Order: sequence, then C-alpha cells, then structure tokens
Amino acid sequence: MQSNSLSLPAPRVAGDGGPDAERHDPVLSVRGLRTDFVTAVGTVHAVRDVSFDLRKGQRLAIVGESGSGKSAMAMSLMGLVPPPGHVAGGSVKLNGTEIVGLDDAGISKVRGKDIGLVFQDPMAALDPLKTIGSQFVETIRVHQDVSVKAARKMAADLLGEVGVNDAARRLSDYPHQYSGGMRQRVLIAMAIANDPSVVVADEPTTALDVTTQAQVLDLLAKICDERGNALVLITHNLGIVEELCDSVNVMYAGRFVECTSTEALFASPGHPYSKALLDCVIDPATARRGALPAIPGSPPDLSVDEPGCPFAPRCPIGRDQERCAVERPQPRTLSNGAVVRCHFAYDTQGETA
Amino acid sequence: MTSTLLKRLGVALATIFGASIFTFVLLRKVPGDPARAIAGDTATEETVAALRQSMGLDDNLFVQYGNYMGSLLRGDFGFSYSTGNSVGTLLGQRLPATLELGLLSVIIAIVAAVLAASFAVYSRRRWPDQAVRAASSLAMGSPPFWIALLALMVFSIQLGIFPGPEGRLSPGMLKPPNITGMFTVDSLLAGQWGTFANAAWHLILPAAIVTLGPFAFLSRLYRNQLRGTLRETFVAVSRSHGLRRLPVYNRHVAPHGLLSLLPAASLLFADLLAGSLLVEKVFGWPGIGSMTADAIIQKDFAVVQAVLLLAAVLYVVVSLLADLLMTAADPRTRVGAR
Amino acid sequence: MNIENATPLLRVEKLNKSYAKGIGNRHRTQILRDVSFELRRGQTLGLVGESGSGKSTTAACVMGLTDADSGLIEFDGVNLTTLSKPEMRRMRRRIQMVFQDPNGSLDPRFTVADLVEEPLIVHGVKDPAERSRRVSEVLDRVGISVKQAERYPFAFSGGQRQRIAIARALVLNPDLVVLDEPVSALDVSIQAQVLNLLSELQDELGLTYLFIVHDLAVARLMSHHIAVMNAGEIVEAGPSADVFENTTHPYTRALLDAVPGAHRRSAQQRTAQQGTTAALAAAGMADALEGK
Repeated sequence: MQSNSLSLPAPRVAGDGGPDAERHDPVLSVRGLRTDFVTAVGTVHAVRDVSFDLRKGQRLAIVGESGSGKSAMAMSLMGLVPPPGHVAGGSVKLNGTEIVGLDDAGISKVRGKDIGLVFQDPMAALDPLKTIGSQFVETIRVHQDVSVKAARKMAADLLGEVGVNDAARRLSDYPHQYSGGMRQRVLIAMAIANDPSVVVADEPTTALDVTTQAQVLDLLAKICDERGNALVLITHNLGIVEELCDSVNVMYAGRFVECTSTEALFASPGHPYSKALLDCVIDPATARRGALPAIPGSPPDLSVDEPGCPFAPRCPIGRDQERCAVERPQPRTLSNGAVVRCHFAYDTQGETA
Repeated sequence: MTSTLLKRLGVALATIFGASIFTFVLLRKVPGDPARAIAGDTATEETVAALRQSMGLDDNLFVQYGNYMGSLLRGDFGFSYSTGNSVGTLLGQRLPATLELGLLSVIIAIVAAVLAASFAVYSRRRWPDQAVRAASSLAMGSPPFWIALLALMVFSIQLGIFPGPEGRLSPGMLKPPNITGMFTVDSLLAGQWGTFANAAWHLILPAAIVTLGPFAFLSRLYRNQLRGTLRETFVAVSRSHGLRRLPVYNRHVAPHGLLSLLPAASLLFADLLAGSLLVEKVFGWPGIGSMTADAIIQKDFAVVQAVLLLAAVLYVVVSLLADLLMTAADPRTRVGAR
Repeated sequence: MNIENATPLLRVEKLNKSYAKGIGNRHRTQILRDVSFELRRGQTLGLVGESGSGKSTTAACVMGLTDADSGLIEFDGVNLTTLSKPEMRRMRRRIQMVFQDPNGSLDPRFTVADLVEEPLIVHGVKDPAERSRRVSEVLDRVGISVKQAERYPFAFSGGQRQRIAIARALVLNPDLVVLDEPVSALDVSIQAQVLNLLSELQDELGLTYLFIVHDLAVARLMSHHIAVMNAGEIVEAGPSADVFENTTHPYTRALLDAVPGAHRRSAQQRTAQQGTTAALAAAGMADALEGK
C-alpha cells in the first residue's frame, strides 16, 4: 500500500502553552482504514484508505455529503460498524492501543472509556423502557467500580453540568419525558461520563431545531474546553465547522480529499470539491435567486473504485482533464499547509498548481 | 387512562355479544335437524314434531335467542341430549383436563420459542437461525391431527415409550383427590408420586403436539422482534458506552422483545384452541376439545354453542388482559410526557 | 406590478386549529392561532419556523388534508373550507404539493414515467397520447430524459428523485405549489440544483409557491414574503428583506442568531445572544426554544 500517511498540518493554536510532548503523541491515530459493506449486489467500499492523527484538545471536523463514508468512518473508530459492514483493513490506535481486531471484551473496555460517541438522532438513542437514571448508572458502572448510589450522584452532577435543571429528580424520568434537545444533552453527558480522551459526534444536531442546535453546539464546545478531550465532529454543515472546529478533513467517496485548518479552508480552499462545497453555502448578501452555485451531477457509486479521481466528472477543472480520469491523485502539501488529493488544486491565491 | 379502560371494556362486551349472535345463527342455519337427531331415525314424524316444539325450535329466531340468553344469564348453558347431562356440568367435568393440557403446552411453547429465538439471534453463526426458522416452518406447516396420529404410531405403538390413546391415566389407576381437577397438580399436592408420574407420562406427548403451532408462531415472532430491536439506535448507544453484547442483550433487547409478545397472546390462544380440538380426540383426552368434536358429529348443538361462546369470551378476556398488561408495562403509555 | 398581482391567489384568514389532549381531557392544545396571510400570483411566501410551530399544519389545511376549526382559506376567490368533496377534488388539481422526503412520496413499484402519469389518470385525462405528451414535456422541464423515465425510483439519486416529485406535482399545470421542506433532506451540493430548478420553473410557468422551510438562508433567497411562525402564531411577517434586515420580533432574532457560522461570533456577540435567550425565556418562550 502506498503513502497512507495523509497527516494533518500541525495545528496552529494561538497561545497554547501546553508541553510539547502532548502535541507529539496523538490520542487517536488512524492509518489506512478501510471499511466495506458486503451486499448481494456487490461490495460497497465506504471508507477507503483513511489516515489521520488527532491530538489532545484538537477539534477536527470530518465534512462530507451523504454517501461520502463519514458515518461509516465514525462507526469504524468505535468498532461499531453495523452488519453487513466490517473494517476491512488498516489501524486505529487510541492512546497507543490498537483497537482494530479486538474481541468483544477488548473493545468494550475501550468504548466509552477512551472514546465516546454522540449519535445523530437523540429521539431513538435512549431505551424507552428504562429511566434516564438507570441507563446513566449502567453507563457509569461499566467502567467505574462504584455503588449504584454513588453512580446516581455522579449522573445527577453530570446532568447538571450539561444544563438539565433539577437533575436529581429528572433521573427518575423516562426518555419520552425529555424534549429532543434535552435528550441530546443527556446523551452528551453519558458519552463523557467515563472521561474519554476522544469524543466522536456524528451529526449531533442534524435532527434538532436551529435554536436547540445552537445550544447543543455551545454545550459541546464548553465540554471540550473544560475537559480537554479531543473532538471528532462528523457533519455536512460548514457553518458548524466554522463555529466549532479548528481543523477540517473534507471527505469524498470514502477518502479525505483535503486536510487543513478551518481558517485555511475558509480563506483558500485547495481542492475543487472543497471550494464547490463552500460555494454552495447560501450567503444572503451575495446569493442570487435562480443562480445558486451548484455541483452538477451526483456522488459516485461506492461499489466500484475507478482509477481516476472520483470527483473528476463533477469537477470544474477535472471534467476536461485526461489525467484526472486515469490517474488517482496522491496526497500533496500546498503552500498554506493543506494536504490535498488533487492534480490541479488551487494553491494559496486561487491559482492552480 | 380510566376512559381508555372503559372504552376497551365496551369493545370487549360488544365483541362477546356479536360472537353470541354469530354462533347462535350459524348453528341454526347449518343443515341437519337436531330434533330428528335426538329422536333417532326410527321415530315418527309426530314424535319429532312434538320434540321440536318442546325444544322451542319452532319459535322465531329472535324468541329463541332471547330464551337462550335468558337462561345463559341464569347460569344455564342448556342440555346435552347426546350425553344426558346439562352442558354446565359437562364443562365443569371437562375443563380441568383441557386446562392442564393447554397450560403445559403454552408454557412449553413460550419457553422453547424464547430460548430458541434468543439463541438464533444472539449467536454470531448462521446455522442456529436457519435451524430455528426451518423448525418453525415445519411446525407451522404440519396439521396437528396428522402429527398426533404419526406420534402415536411411532412413540406408542412402535417404540412403546409413551402410552396409547387411553386418556389421562393408565386404566385402573385411581384419580388423585379433586382439588384443581388437573391430575398432575392434584397428585403433587396429595403427595401421590406414582399418580403424578403416570399423569405426566400421559400428558407429555399430546402437550408436545399441541405446542407445535404456538411454538412456530411465537419463535418466528420473537426472532423478528429481537432482530428489529438489535438494529435500534439505543442498542448501538449502549454498546458505544462499553456494555458487552450479553448485558446489552439482556437489559435492552430482550425486554422489548418480550413486551412485543403480549399483543400476540390472543392469537396464541386461538392457535391453541384449534390445535387441541383434534389432538384431544386422537389421544382420547377427556377435555373440551374431544367433547366438542363428538358434539359436532352428534349435532348436539347446545354443547357446540356453549363451547364456541366460551372460546369467544376467553379470547376477549385474554386480549383485554394482554392489552392492559402492555399499557402497564410500557412507560410511554403509563407515564405522561412532561 | 401588473393587474394580476392585485388580488391574492391564496388568502388565509384567522385560521384556528386545536386538538384534545387524550380522551376525556378538556385541555385542548392550540396548534394554529389566528393564522392569516395573503399570497399573490407568481410569488413565493416563505413560512418559517421550528418543528411544532404550526407551519406544516397550515400547509395541510391549505391542501385540504386536514380541517381547521375555524377560519377562511380562499383560493382564487373560492372559499375552500365550504367546498363539497367533488368540488374540492376538482380544485385539488390546481394546488399541488412537494414533500420533504422524495423516497417516501414515490412508490418504488412504478416506473418514473408511470408515477408522473398517475395524477393525469386520477384527474381524468383520458387520451393516452395527450398524457404521454405532457409527461415527457414535464420530465424534460425538470431535467429527466424520457429514456431515464423508464427506470424505477431507486435507480435515481436523492436530488433526481426530488426532480421527479416536482414533475409529478407540475404535470397537472397547477397554479399553487405547496413546497414542504423540499430540499432539507438533500445534500448542500444538490440543494442548490433543486432550488435553481424551482426558481426557473416559477419564472417560466408563473407558479405561486407556499414554501415551508426551516432554513432561513433558503427562505430569504427564495421568498418574496416571509411569515415567521412560533407556537401556532405568525409572529412576524413582511417582505423578505424587511424581515431579515429590520427584525422586530425577538423570536426571529433568536432564530437568525442561532444559525451556525453565519458569522464568526465574537465573545461579545455570544453574550448578546445569551441576552436574547434570556429575554425570550422572560417572555415565556423558553418552550419554543426547546422545541416542545
């Protein structure tokens, strides 16, 4: 396998006085990750050769459209790819421990303790037959040897921390007695209950109303600030990326096509797909009705892996380029530090390299 | 909550009322003259006509139905001409035998179905699931009457492991003291171990056969429910918190599956009833099923009618109970939203 | 402004709707409270709000899918609330709807051509040649080739399926199209395609849109007028630019501030927004914020 290391540019966090050692050891290190879904009509290669590092305190966004493989990747990090899917290759190291290939007992020790997951749909994410308290106590006691009473106390404290009023009493309530926004707060509290060093949030606010969404995003930011855990945010919403994350990996057809800092992405996107995505965000000041920039065509079929660049048929540059149709672009670094998979990426001033 | 309860009770009563009219009309419209059947082939037309009149068969249907319901409410289920007993007495004698057979069959069906389906779904291999599905298809597809005959031939006549169609006890065996009417239970209560063993030995084969239909139905249903629940997001969430497969299965998957079995209770009951009718006949089991089979042949419609009505009432009661239990067990219906 | 614009195509006045909470409970939940608006021919009214605000119920009342308790719905001068069933059926072909989820609204067992033809059959277009002419015309208009139309819905991507749903709505030449979140299930790159198509169709065919939408940027871009709904009431309404630039109602303000990334919010702005939230809570609207 060639060049798997599509590593991120070192995060440029202003005023970060932390020891250098922390910066050098990533809490999460993914190399050459591949995830397949075997179906009757063929194998869908949802994640294809994905590599990245996540450092302590970093907030990384994985941006992509539906079918880009971003959710399959999130599930692969947890070892929770639903059947008929499975991790077909590569490595995922959490705090130096390899988790690909662990058995049920092994991976269960890691889940929730080293890596926590916040799901997309809070309405379906809690067992409707159990009280919030019993589900929370169960979550705490999986990894911590404490009494039920002590766990309940911890749960109440955590619920208070995420903004549930009258937390001790509301532990006895059932999920249907909570609103959508409140349930997502509960789920965030459960995900951080055992202090994981990495929190993965898979479209955590897509199912919520816009004002609730803002509150939940503020909460995620606050939690990460206070606890210092790293965040992987899976989203299709570039507004959320801008607000919450310091670095971005743009995913297309199962691969990262651009890995960069949020600032650099919004200032000068390198990959034509990144640029097209940014152009699609409606800016009320400049957008004209009937003339919105759109990306023509639709995303590629993931059951075939054709030789060229998968974005080429929809790409304003690659559409007419022979090279893009036949040769798969390899990662390369642009002058602003972004790593892109593109033969003709825009470099710094919007010129093609 | 109380209003829903009242509404369901109303529906239940209406269903029973409908069933009483249906069975009544149905039995009076089937060909065959019950008076002729009672009087016998050799009786004269005059005798038959007199009998018809004394039985009230000449009145119009409304009057007949009114009389019938009137006596029902007084606890009089009518008179069985073929046995010379009141239907009420017959039911009292026969019910315990059927109850014993039915209860055991239900218990076997539920335990076996839950165990088999759980194993099939929980196992990571494919064969347990395929085996359970095959077993359930086979059990569902085979007529209990035919299976009963086959089982008698193989296990009783060929192998001699189980008794022949001689009823609930071996000939000459004394009945245990009558407490519940169920021989296995009564003999245990009286400490008569020999009688218990004999009663159980007679019970096993018919119970195993009556159980087939309910088992097929339940195992399939439970398997599908479990598989559906396993795909729920909250199951993935529990796993993401670090719970291992078995605890997630026990605490979050199985309760949903069991809860979803409740609405099937009434269907299960119907299945059981249909199964026991002919199986009792084949095994000479002196229960309601064999009594009904005989009564149909003899055109003893007072008996058939009483049994049908009893079945309807039980069916309605079972579904009502299941409904209430379901409401009580599910917090979404039990506790209102905040 | 021409003469047609003078009388509204759709006029809704004091629409009220409530439902009882459980049987025997005398508390009724008000879903619509005196909802009134006008929609002129050839224009778009954006009905904006969060889930539970009543925007979808309003659309359902206009479509005749549910009855309001009281109020007037006047379409092209005819009061829809008093129409008989057959009269309503005839009127229905002039009011069509496009739903949020293109997968749910297209029966997977029919080819695309059949799906688009179906409304014509339902509304009694007897001549098969006429039907197929109109089907190919409308498919061409939304950018689906006649050859593609022989395939089944699952062979199409989400964006294409929404095009098919639009074709199905337009094949009867309606005057009014109710668009219920038509792009919110689509990816951003595809959203723009469909929005552009909707704009083009409106300009070419003179369509009138009632646009149910939660995305404020989309609402602003597509609509001539905006009505902001909260808890069953229209809290702010007016020409699109006015509503967004000179916001008067605190709820609209809160909605606008909540859009992520509209601007990099500084600490000050953040405090300002928390101020708004506090003001809302004081105004008894905390429930609305929580989406209850």
